[in-house]
Amino acid sequence: MTVPTMLAPGAAIPQPPDFRVYFESGEDRLLWDRDRTHHPAQLTTLEGEFVAHFAAHGMGHAFERYVVPVAGVRARAIHGYLYTAFEPLQGSPEEVARHAERGEAAVLTTVGRLQTAWEDEWLPEILEHLAAMEAADPRRAPSTVGLVDILEGYWEHMERLWELHFEIVFPAYVAVSEFADLYRDLFGGEAFDAYRLLQGTPTRTFEVGCDLWRLSRLALRSPGVADVLATHAAADVPAALEAVPAGREVLTQLDRHLAAFGHRTASWGLATPSFIEDPTPVLKMLRDYVTQPDSASPGIELERQVRERDAAVAEARGRLVGYPTPVVEQFEALLEAAQTGLLLTEDHGFYIDAYAVSLVRDLLSEMGERLVADGVLDDREDVLMLRYDDLRVAALDLPGTDPRTLVEQRRATLAEHAGVTPPPVLGTMPAGPPPPSPLLGMAMKFSGSPAPSGDPDRVSGAAGSAGRVTGVARVVHSLAEAAALAPGEVLVAETTAPPWTPLFAIAAAVVTDTGGILSHSAVVAREYGIPAVVGAGDATAAIRDGDLVEVDGDAGIVRIVR
Amino acid sequence: MSRPSLSAARIDDADPAEILWLGEERCADPACSGGKAASLSRLAASRRVPHGFVVALAGPSLDRGLRRAVAAAYRRLGAVAGVADPPVAVRSSAIDEDGAGASFAGQHDTYLGVSGVDQVWWAIARCASSFAGDRALAYRRRAGLAAPPGRAAVLVQLLVPADASGVVFSANPVTGARDEIVVNAAFGLGESVVSGTVTPDAIVVGRHDLAVRDHAVADKRAMTVAVPGGGTREVPVPGCLRTRPAVDAAQARAAARLAADLERETGGPVDIEVAWVGSDLFLLQCRPITTLPTPRSTP
Repeated sequence: MTVPTMLAPGAAIPQPPDFRVYFESGEDRLLWDRDRTHHPAQLTTLEGEFVAHFAAHGMGHAFERYVVPVAGVRARAIHGYLYTAFEPLQGSPEEVARHAERGEAAVLTTVGRLQTAWEDEWLPEILEHLAAMEAADPRRAPSTVGLVDILEGYWEHMERLWELHFEIVFPAYVAVSEFADLYRDLFGGEAFDAYRLLQGTPTRTFEVGCDLWRLSRLALRSPGVADVLATHAAADVPAALEAVPAGREVLTQLDRHLAAFGHRTASWGLATPSFIEDPTPVLKMLRDYVTQPDSASPGIELERQVRERDAAVAEARGRLVGYPTPVVEQFEALLEAAQTGLLLTEDHGFYIDAYAVSLVRDLLSEMGERLVADGVLDDREDVLMLRYDDLRVAALDLPGTDPRTLVEQRRATLAEHAGVTPPPVLGTMPAGPPPPSPLLGMAMKFSGSPAPSGDPDRVSGAAGSAGRVTGVARVVHSLAEAAALAPGEVLVAETTAPPWTPLFAIAAAVVTDTGGILSHSAVVAREYGIPAVVGAGDATAAIRDGDLVEVDGDAGIVRIVR
Repeated sequence: MSRPSLSAARIDDADPAEILWLGEERCADPACSGGKAASLSRLAASRRVPHGFVVALAGPSLDRGLRRAVAAAYRRLGAVAGVADPPVAVRSSAIDEDGAGASFAGQHDTYLGVSGVDQVWWAIARCASSFAGDRALAYRRRAGLAAPPGRAAVLVQLLVPADASGVVFSANPVTGARDEIVVNAAFGLGESVVSGTVTPDAIVVGRHDLAVRDHAVADKRAMTVAVPGGGTREVPVPGCLRTRPAVDAAQARAAARLAADLERETGGPVDIEVAWVGSDLFLLQCRPITTLPTPRSTP
């Protein structure tokens, strides 16, 4: 949370002239925090409504479930940028403290049974929802109006899926955070030491990388295929492969890969096509993998991590000989919970953030195409400029409604704020510190708090993954731009979403504007064993594309060598 | 997991002259083994006292024959514990110590987690020389025990791998109330509790119904742990455990019952040191309370 420090508690936060906000009654009394980690770029109208609605709904559910000491959660896309606010809990300090205690007990109970909850409850329910959504195939809907029924059904599935999302991620991150605290209390040491005991569990995202790696080895076996991948632009690869021997087999395998893992988009949101719609990012990664030697296999890296983890766990257990049983039991329980927790911080996203959202994206694409065919809209992507209710109205094509005008107005309003820097916080400074809660402790490690360095040749952030490396910076704002990343270069981005993961296999280091030691970028960098500096604030502005930079992942500092 | 036996009651073989085993009749004689060991030896027959022996010394000097006897006794402790070089606690047991008029608590050296014959011998030698140490002499003067004793004893017992350790008073040591038993408990070995470097949890238990009347959980910042290979060290208690109770109500009640029973047997209020290992409770020491305030009469 970046809060202007000069403002007194309870003071209204001034709005920049290019970012005026009209709050509903009472909303201006809350502190609105910008979520730049998940949504660095401006969101379309529907996307903004979508992420705000499901974030607030899901978080609200989880806050109740885990008795978090806040009264409620709000989320709004303001000029296309996502902001969230927590309504403070009313009551005496004693009441709030009691509430916080019950909340701690509630979340720690789930921390103690993460694996069971995931395998027996959460994952089966998630899969049921996904299956139900896939069964209601939008392409087979007889009419545009029929699509509205499917849309309403999807909305219900999504509400429950986002409830599950936060029900899972809260205890998962708390488990990791509590283990890191316990480890530091017991053994001291560097910030990353605890995470070594958690690494080496293959996530679904890691499996995606492995699958693509196998495809790259298959491609290398045929010189013709390897030649196509080396000489053609990613978008031209499929057509060129058709023409070479063994190219057909690689394409078949590619289709299989996309069917299994292509239900993902390059970012959190609805505006980017899934890899099934546009496999260019996958092909680009395949091209990069082909240039790598067999020794760079993700499987070999995983084995190294497993060895390192097992040694670190054995060493920690050795250091606990002679400790009282309650301490040893707490260590073992939190170690197991945190290993599962770290896995869940990634795998929940595979099913919900990526898969379910891509199904909604498919539905909206279908709806867009039908509305264009019906003569209601000009472009299928225009559906993203409508609100949920507008969309239902548009599908019914009621007289007196004009979706085209709405699309134009919304696009114009968003364009007005496309170039601005949205303020990190809006509303009113909180009257006091938040009540103690393991969830809030975890949140700090997730979002981090960037501090400007004051030195133009030095960008400081949080230590995200150990190691020091010097390389050419590739500053990218989307996965599409990341196609320019060459092996051995330093990936500099505002944030990285799970589908960016395979880039970590070729990047020498990662630098992000947002996030803390538990953020996706940091977790994956540690998984791939490359240095990372996260939460570096303005790294994407301070570092220029092509700069030579030295990334010090232990110190959380990037030096610009130029 | 089955724990090796730590109780003293079953050893009754004859021993070399200078070594007396806890539970033996001669060991219960304070003139031979000192007050602390004699009291424990008497209790070893009926209570769960860690196995151990007393090295009875004629004076502070030690000879080679005694070293062989100590080595043999230590090996025998190892056989009982089921490990080759079992960690032991080595404590002084002064001949006048633990009389009803003076507690002597902590006035002589204590070595916890000592492992291996050489280390045990070294700790015994340090304890023996401590009888003539400044602290002990000053204490004796204050307590009116003019001369250092001609004889000294050193107690060697298997170290209890305590989850929590505590001190139990069979009367409230602060108010003097006789219907309350006070249990102090903290994580790990007893050193941190006895030396006062940690504020222990304080549990007040009713003498007659053994009901927990108050359980004040303290912020326990430190604990003593055994170092593998010998010795102990004080380490911070991890944050998530600091304000968790060191023992539960059942464990506290078991300790309170033990203190109440021992008071009945010895005929006066006692303070005892105990160690909890899972559901097992070990008695480490039993002393009469020497300075109990007179309870205030209720109007």
